[in-house]
Amino acid sequence: MTPYIYSFLLAIVSSMLVDNVVLSRFYGICSFIGVSNKIKSAFSMGVAVMFVTVFAALICWPIYNYILGPLNIPFMDTLTYILVIASLVQVVGLFIKKYSAPLYKSFGIYLPLITTNCAVLGVVQSNTDTALGFGLSMANAIGTSLGFILAIVVFACIRERLEQYNGNKPFKGVPLALVVAALMAMAFMGLGGIGA
Amino acid sequence: MTDGLRIFLAVLILTSLLVIFVVSFILYRKTPLPKGCEDMQPSEEKCANCKEEGCHLNIYAEKKKKENEKK
Repeated sequence: MTPYIYSFLLAIVSSMLVDNVVLSRFYGICSFIGVSNKIKSAFSMGVAVMFVTVFAALICWPIYNYILGPLNIPFMDTLTYILVIASLVQVVGLFIKKYSAPLYKSFGIYLPLITTNCAVLGVVQSNTDTALGFGLSMANAIGTSLGFILAIVVFACIRERLEQYNGNKPFKGVPLALVVAALMAMAFMGLGGIGA
Repeated sequence: MTDGLRIFLAVLILTSLLVIFVVSFILYRKTPLPKGCEDMQPSEEKCANCKEEGCHLNIYAEKKKKENEKK
Protein backbone atom coordinates (compact mmCIF):
# COMPACT_ATOMS: atom_id res chain seq x y z
CA MET A 1 0.00 0.00 0.00
CA THR A 2 1.48 3.34 -0.97
CA PRO A 3 2.23 5.80 1.85
CA TYR A 4 -0.37 8.23 0.53
CA ILE A 5 -3.22 5.70 0.55
CA TYR A 6 -2.07 4.56 3.99
CA SER A 7 -2.18 8.17 5.31
CA PHE A 8 -5.59 8.66 3.70
CA LEU A 9 -7.06 5.56 5.34
CA LEU A 10 -5.39 6.33 8.67
CA ALA A 11 -6.88 9.84 8.60
CA ILE A 12 -10.37 8.39 7.99
CA VAL A 13 -10.02 5.87 10.82
CA SER A 14 -8.63 8.38 13.30
CA SER A 15 -11.32 10.99 12.52
CA MET A 16 -13.97 8.31 12.81
CA LEU A 17 -12.87 6.53 15.98
CA VAL A 18 -10.04 8.22 17.85
CA ASP A 19 -11.19 11.81 17.41
CA ASN A 20 -14.93 11.13 17.05
CA VAL A 21 -16.75 14.37 16.32
CA VAL A 22 -19.59 13.77 18.80
CA LEU A 23 -18.00 11.70 21.55
CA SER A 24 -14.50 13.20 21.67
CA ARG A 25 -14.89 16.71 20.31
CA PHE A 26 -18.53 17.22 21.46
CA TYR A 27 -19.79 18.79 18.25
CA GLY A 28 -23.28 18.23 16.82
CA ILE A 29 -24.75 17.28 20.22
CA CYS A 30 -28.10 18.91 19.43
CA SER A 31 -28.97 16.65 16.51
CA PHE A 32 -27.21 13.74 18.24
CA ILE A 33 -29.68 13.91 21.17
CA GLY A 34 -32.70 15.18 19.25
CA VAL A 35 -32.81 12.78 16.29
CA SER A 36 -31.62 9.56 17.90
CA ASN A 37 -34.80 8.11 19.32
CA LYS A 38 -35.25 5.79 16.31
CA ILE A 39 -32.52 3.98 14.35
CA LYS A 40 -34.03 4.78 10.95
CA SER A 41 -34.26 8.53 11.56
CA ALA A 42 -30.78 8.55 13.13
CA PHE A 43 -29.30 6.86 10.07
CA SER A 44 -31.10 9.28 7.72
CA MET A 45 -29.79 12.25 9.69
CA GLY A 46 -26.27 10.79 9.63
CA VAL A 47 -26.38 10.35 5.86
CA ALA A 48 -27.63 13.91 5.38
CA VAL A 49 -24.80 15.24 7.59
CA MET A 50 -22.27 13.20 5.61
CA PHE A 51 -23.58 14.61 2.33
CA VAL A 52 -23.27 18.20 3.52
CA THR A 53 -19.94 17.75 5.36
CA VAL A 54 -18.13 16.24 2.39
CA PHE A 55 -19.40 18.86 -0.04
CA ALA A 56 -18.69 21.67 2.41
CA ALA A 57 -15.08 20.49 2.83
CA LEU A 58 -14.78 20.16 -0.96
CA ILE A 59 -15.84 23.77 -1.48
CA CYS A 60 -14.32 25.51 1.56
CA TRP A 61 -10.77 24.14 1.21
CA PRO A 62 -10.13 25.80 -2.19
CA ILE A 63 -11.87 28.98 -1.02
CA TYR A 64 -9.47 29.30 1.93
CA ASN A 65 -6.30 28.25 0.10
CA TYR A 66 -6.86 30.04 -3.20
CA ILE A 67 -8.91 33.09 -2.24
CA LEU A 68 -8.70 34.02 1.45
CA GLY A 69 -5.06 33.01 1.94
CA PRO A 70 -3.51 34.70 -1.12
CA LEU A 71 -5.60 37.85 -0.52
CA ASN A 72 -4.30 37.93 3.08
CA ILE A 73 -7.80 37.91 4.67
CA PRO A 74 -7.78 34.65 6.68
CA PHE A 75 -9.89 36.30 9.41
CA MET A 76 -12.90 35.95 7.05
CA ASP A 77 -12.80 32.15 7.26
CA THR A 78 -15.56 31.51 9.82
CA LEU A 79 -18.10 33.86 8.25
CA THR A 80 -17.28 32.52 4.80
CA TYR A 81 -17.70 28.91 5.90
CA ILE A 82 -21.06 29.63 7.57
CA LEU A 83 -22.41 31.27 4.44
CA VAL A 84 -21.03 28.52 2.19
CA ILE A 85 -22.57 25.79 4.38
CA ALA A 86 -25.94 27.57 4.55
CA SER A 87 -25.99 28.06 0.76
CA LEU A 88 -24.86 24.48 0.18
CA VAL A 89 -27.70 23.14 2.31
CA GLN A 90 -30.20 25.16 0.28
CA VAL A 91 -28.70 24.00 -3.04
CA VAL A 92 -28.55 20.34 -1.97
CA GLY A 93 -32.15 20.57 -0.73
CA LEU A 94 -33.16 22.12 -4.03
CA PHE A 95 -31.62 19.32 -6.10
CA ILE A 96 -33.10 16.63 -3.89
CA LYS A 97 -36.54 18.27 -4.06
CA LYS A 98 -36.37 18.54 -7.84
CA TYR A 99 -34.79 15.23 -8.82
CA SER A 100 -35.28 12.67 -6.08
CA ALA A 101 -38.52 12.14 -4.22
CA PRO A 102 -37.26 9.03 -2.35
CA LEU A 103 -34.23 10.92 -1.04
CA TYR A 104 -36.42 13.87 -0.04
CA LYS A 105 -38.78 11.55 1.81
CA SER A 106 -35.94 9.88 3.70
CA PHE A 107 -33.88 12.89 4.77
CA GLY A 108 -35.14 16.01 3.05
CA ILE A 109 -36.76 17.35 6.20
CA TYR A 110 -33.48 17.13 8.11
CA LEU A 111 -31.47 19.26 5.69
CA PRO A 112 -32.37 22.66 7.17
CA LEU A 113 -31.33 21.34 10.60
CA ILE A 114 -27.82 20.67 9.32
CA THR A 115 -27.18 24.36 8.73
CA THR A 116 -26.95 24.81 12.48
CA ASN A 117 -24.99 21.62 13.10
CA CYS A 118 -21.61 22.76 14.37
CA ALA A 119 -20.01 19.46 13.38
CA VAL A 120 -19.95 20.60 9.75
CA LEU A 121 -18.36 23.96 10.59
CA GLY A 122 -15.98 22.22 13.01
CA VAL A 123 -14.67 19.89 10.30
CA VAL A 124 -14.15 22.66 7.79
CA GLN A 125 -12.45 24.88 10.38
CA SER A 126 -10.14 22.10 11.57
CA ASN A 127 -9.08 21.39 7.98
CA THR A 128 -7.73 24.91 7.66
CA ASP A 129 -6.50 25.33 11.25
CA THR A 130 -4.31 22.25 10.95
CA ALA A 131 -3.26 23.24 7.38
CA LEU A 132 -4.19 19.87 5.91
CA GLY A 133 -3.71 19.19 2.22
CA PHE A 134 -6.73 18.60 -0.01
CA GLY A 135 -6.58 14.80 0.21
CA LEU A 136 -6.28 14.72 3.99
CA SER A 137 -9.02 17.36 4.32
CA MET A 138 -11.38 15.11 2.36
CA ALA A 139 -10.28 12.12 4.47
CA ASN A 140 -11.01 14.16 7.61
CA ALA A 141 -14.46 15.11 6.28
CA ILE A 142 -15.32 11.53 5.29
CA GLY A 143 -13.99 10.08 8.56
CA THR A 144 -15.76 12.68 10.69
CA SER A 145 -19.10 12.11 9.04
CA LEU A 146 -18.71 8.31 9.27
CA GLY A 147 -17.92 8.82 12.96
CA PHE A 148 -21.08 10.90 13.34
CA ILE A 149 -23.16 8.15 11.69
CA LEU A 150 -21.53 5.52 13.91
CA ALA A 151 -22.14 7.50 17.11
CA ILE A 152 -25.73 8.47 16.34
CA VAL A 153 -26.79 4.99 15.15
CA VAL A 154 -25.22 3.22 18.15
CA PHE A 155 -26.84 5.80 20.44
CA ALA A 156 -30.21 5.25 18.70
CA CYS A 157 -29.89 1.47 19.20
CA ILE A 158 -29.36 1.99 22.93
CA ARG A 159 -32.16 4.55 23.20
CA GLU A 160 -34.63 2.21 21.52
CA ARG A 161 -33.87 -0.34 24.23
CA LEU A 162 -34.17 2.34 26.93
CA GLU A 163 -37.76 3.02 25.80
CA GLN A 164 -38.66 0.00 27.93
CA TYR A 165 -37.03 1.45 31.07
CA ASN A 166 -39.54 1.62 33.92
CA GLY A 167 -37.28 2.88 36.70
CA ASN A 168 -37.01 6.32 38.30
CA LYS A 169 -39.23 8.82 36.51
CA PRO A 170 -36.79 11.77 36.70
CA PHE A 171 -34.25 9.71 34.73
CA LYS A 172 -36.63 8.64 31.97
CA GLY A 173 -35.93 10.06 28.51
CA VAL A 174 -33.22 12.63 27.89
CA PRO A 175 -31.50 12.52 31.35
CA LEU A 176 -30.75 8.82 31.00
CA ALA A 177 -29.78 9.37 27.36
CA LEU A 178 -27.20 11.93 28.48
CA VAL A 179 -25.76 9.45 30.98
CA VAL A 180 -25.50 6.89 28.18
CA ALA A 181 -23.80 9.45 25.93
CA ALA A 182 -21.24 10.14 28.68
CA LEU A 183 -20.51 6.42 29.02
CA MET A 184 -20.10 6.13 25.26
CA ALA A 185 -17.68 9.08 25.31
CA MET A 186 -15.65 7.31 28.03
CA ALA A 187 -15.60 4.15 25.94
CA PHE A 188 -14.29 6.05 22.93
CA MET A 189 -11.54 7.56 25.08
CA GLY A 190 -10.08 4.06 25.16
CA LEU A 191 -9.35 4.39 21.45
CA GLY A 192 -7.06 7.36 22.04
CA GLY A 193 -3.49 6.87 20.90
CA ILE A 194 -4.27 4.61 17.91
CA GLY A 195 -2.21 5.72 14.94
CA ALA A 196 0.02 7.97 17.04
CA MET B 1 -1.72 45.23 -0.27
CA THR B 2 -3.11 48.07 1.87
CA ASP B 3 -5.44 47.51 4.81
CA GLY B 4 -8.20 49.42 3.03
CA LEU B 5 -8.01 47.15 0.00
CA ARG B 6 -8.05 44.05 2.20
CA ILE B 7 -11.16 45.27 4.02
CA PHE B 8 -12.80 46.11 0.70
CA LEU B 9 -12.08 42.62 -0.64
CA ALA B 10 -13.39 41.06 2.58
CA VAL B 11 -16.64 43.03 2.34
CA LEU B 12 -16.94 42.15 -1.35
CA ILE B 13 -16.52 38.43 -0.68
CA LEU B 14 -19.00 38.57 2.21
CA THR B 15 -21.57 40.43 0.11
CA SER B 16 -21.25 38.01 -2.81
CA LEU B 17 -21.67 35.02 -0.49
CA LEU B 18 -24.74 36.65 1.06
CA VAL B 19 -26.22 37.19 -2.40
CA ILE B 20 -25.54 33.54 -3.29
CA PHE B 21 -27.23 32.45 -0.06
CA VAL B 22 -30.29 34.64 -0.63
CA VAL B 23 -30.66 33.44 -4.24
CA SER B 24 -30.31 29.77 -3.23
CA PHE B 25 -32.81 30.27 -0.39
CA ILE B 26 -35.36 31.86 -2.74
CA LEU B 27 -34.87 29.08 -5.32
CA TYR B 28 -35.28 26.45 -2.60
CA ARG B 29 -38.54 28.00 -1.40
CA LYS B 30 -39.86 28.32 -4.95
CA THR B 31 -39.08 24.69 -5.88
CA PRO B 32 -42.25 22.61 -5.55
CA LEU B 33 -42.25 19.51 -3.38
CA PRO B 34 -41.66 16.21 -5.23
CA LYS B 35 -44.65 14.03 -6.20
CA GLY B 36 -45.81 12.04 -3.23
CA CYS B 37 -44.41 14.46 -0.67
CA GLU B 38 -47.04 17.18 -0.87
CA ASP B 39 -49.00 15.94 2.10
CA MET B 40 -46.13 14.81 4.29
CA GLN B 41 -47.15 14.97 7.90
CA PRO B 42 -44.75 15.15 10.84
CA SER B 43 -44.16 11.69 12.15
CA GLU B 44 -44.34 11.04 15.86
CA GLU B 45 -41.62 8.44 15.41
CA LYS B 46 -39.07 10.74 13.80
CA CYS B 47 -39.82 14.05 15.45
CA ALA B 48 -40.93 13.23 19.01
CA ASN B 49 -37.82 14.60 20.73
CA CYS B 50 -37.07 17.47 18.38
CA LYS B 51 -37.46 20.98 19.84
CA GLU B 52 -36.55 22.81 16.64
CA GLU B 53 -39.27 25.46 16.57
CA GLY B 54 -38.13 26.86 13.21
CA CYS B 55 -39.01 23.60 11.40
CA HIS B 56 -42.37 23.69 9.60
CA LEU B 57 -42.99 20.06 10.61
CA ASN B 58 -42.28 20.59 14.29
CA ILE B 59 -44.95 18.77 16.26
CA TYR B 60 -43.57 19.84 19.63
CA ALA B 61 -44.29 23.49 18.73
CA GLU B 62 -47.78 22.50 17.48
CA LYS B 63 -48.55 20.72 20.76
CA LYS B 64 -47.27 23.68 22.80
CA LYS B 65 -49.43 26.04 20.72
CA LYS B 66 -52.55 23.91 21.31
CA GLU B 67 -51.82 23.75 25.06
CA ASN B 68 -51.46 27.54 25.20
CA GLU B 69 -54.72 28.00 23.28
CA LYS B 70 -56.55 25.70 25.72
CA LYS B 71 -55.24 27.79 28.65
